Amino acid sequence: MRWAVLAALAIGLLLLALYPLVATGYGIRFMLQLFMWVALAQSWNLISGLTGYVSFGHVAFFGTGAYAGAILVTTHGWHWGPASLAGGVAAVILALIIGYPCLRLKGPYFAIAMLGLNEVMRVLVSYFEGLTGGGSGLSLPTLHASGQIYYAMGAAALAVTGAAHLLITSRVGLRFMTIREDEIAAEAMGINTERYKLYAFLLSAFVPGVVGGFFARDQGYIEPISVFPLLTTITMIVMVLFGGKGTIWGPVLGAVTLFVFQELVWARFLYLHQIFFGAIIVFVVLLMPRGILGVLQERYRLPRTI
Amino acid sequence: MDDGHLLEIRDLTKHFGGVVAVNRCSLVLAPGKIYGLIGPNGSGKTTLFNCITGLERRDAGEVFFRGERIDGLKPHQVAHRGIGRTFQIIRVFPELTALENLLVVTREPFEVAYRRAQELLRFVTLDLLENEYAGNLSYGQQKLLEFIRVLMRDPELILLDEPAAGVNRTLLNELLAAITRLRDQGKTILIVEHDMKVVMGLCEKLFVLDYGEKIAEGPPGVIQADPRVIEAYFGR
Repeated sequence: MRWAVLAALAIGLLLLALYPLVATGYGIRFMLQLFMWVALAQSWNLISGLTGYVSFGHVAFFGTGAYAGAILVTTHGWHWGPASLAGGVAAVILALIIGYPCLRLKGPYFAIAMLGLNEVMRVLVSYFEGLTGGGSGLSLPTLHASGQIYYAMGAAALAVTGAAHLLITSRVGLRFMTIREDEIAAEAMGINTERYKLYAFLLSAFVPGVVGGFFARDQGYIEPISVFPLLTTITMIVMVLFGGKGTIWGPVLGAVTLFVFQELVWARFLYLHQIFFGAIIVFVVLLMPRGILGVLQERYRLPRTI
Repeated sequence: MDDGHLLEIRDLTKHFGGVVAVNRCSLVLAPGKIYGLIGPNGSGKTTLFNCITGLERRDAGEVFFRGERIDGLKPHQVAHRGIGRTFQIIRVFPELTALENLLVVTREPFEVAYRRAQELLRFVTLDLLENEYAGNLSYGQQKLLEFIRVLMRDPELILLDEPAAGVNRTLLNELLAAITRLRDQGKTILIVEHDMKVVMGLCEKLFVLDYGEKIAEGPPGVIQADPRVIEAYFGR
């Protein structure tokens, strides 16, 4: 069973790696966006799925990475690869500054603080025109790198899913989960909850920052509203809730299902997909709060790692 | 400051707004004994536990554990000093399995922790349920799980908040036997309990709280006859 799963994974990865050889331009761009959503959803899962601290501003890390990466590319002439990694580091630094005070807040207060962070970042980026181009945005030099960005996004999605696997099957991940389960009991049992919350938060901020850098390069032009939209955070959340929060494959399943569906609906009805998204939120919250995988795990008594 | 005491509380006071939950309470625990903490509802027993374990900040007073001052420490730091506790309302990690509930609280190498966890699960006959989510266990089973989760860290001082409440007689006898065995291993146990039969049979010394003040202490026989205690429980 274990070998069958590993073999299927290996074949799947091989096919994805070979895909650009046969794909159309549209196909590659579709897939790289899909990878981006997997990476973002899985990152959100690390903080909110495992520790239960619901972040409503995770796109702040994405936007910070996008701007850090784009600035390094345009004004310092960096290659977009290292620039995006630096974007990830910038996101982690932001997470450190904001996480230290905000992770002391409980429940809805943390969610609201994170929502505020996103708004503040957007305003800051608009204000410092000299560095960021303000409201008129930043244009990156023309470059056709969709093929490379395809692999970069894929690697980011793979890395963060690998990290989720390592965490969920280890005692560090279990300690993250005790914070979700009962923070007071965790403290009383000797778990330094403040430290573990911060670890989870920093981990969850890195990949969105990196992916933000890739996104900036892929788009060639960014502006405050294009990299700090609240809708991006909401999409991450819905994908994870739909697939199954706190699981390894739930965020992947949620991102793939919803992104493919959204793309199909979007192509035909421009505004209908927003209604559809709202409907999914209501459906999931009311009928299956544990998501698809959560329901399957419960019904068939599967381990959390499936 | 090592005078053979395991835990010493001096003049501990805790207010909640205008309510004095614990009022200048002092007590001393020697190692290797079972102590009881009794008193009417709302007399400050759980608040005292919370102040010892760092879950509440005391307003005044000092707490020493093995000669080291521990008031002002965070709960996880107190736990690392060697104090473990259970809660009045069960606080297992419901979406972790029974086994994971135990493994997650130690930093020992996995093999050692796993062996110890299995021993403890057998000890309370939960070994067949090790892969069950804690939230799916019965009330009594969760209570036992919470108890052995404390033992997982091998603490010197164990604070039990109403261990007998809601546990059936058979299970209770096993639990009491386990507590006695821990004492025989040199552990010190402080129990908050309403069941007088349990307290009288198990504890070597009792402390009685009323309106946050310690109104009496002594062996169970003496306490039972103490007029102040009778008054606190039954009124004048």
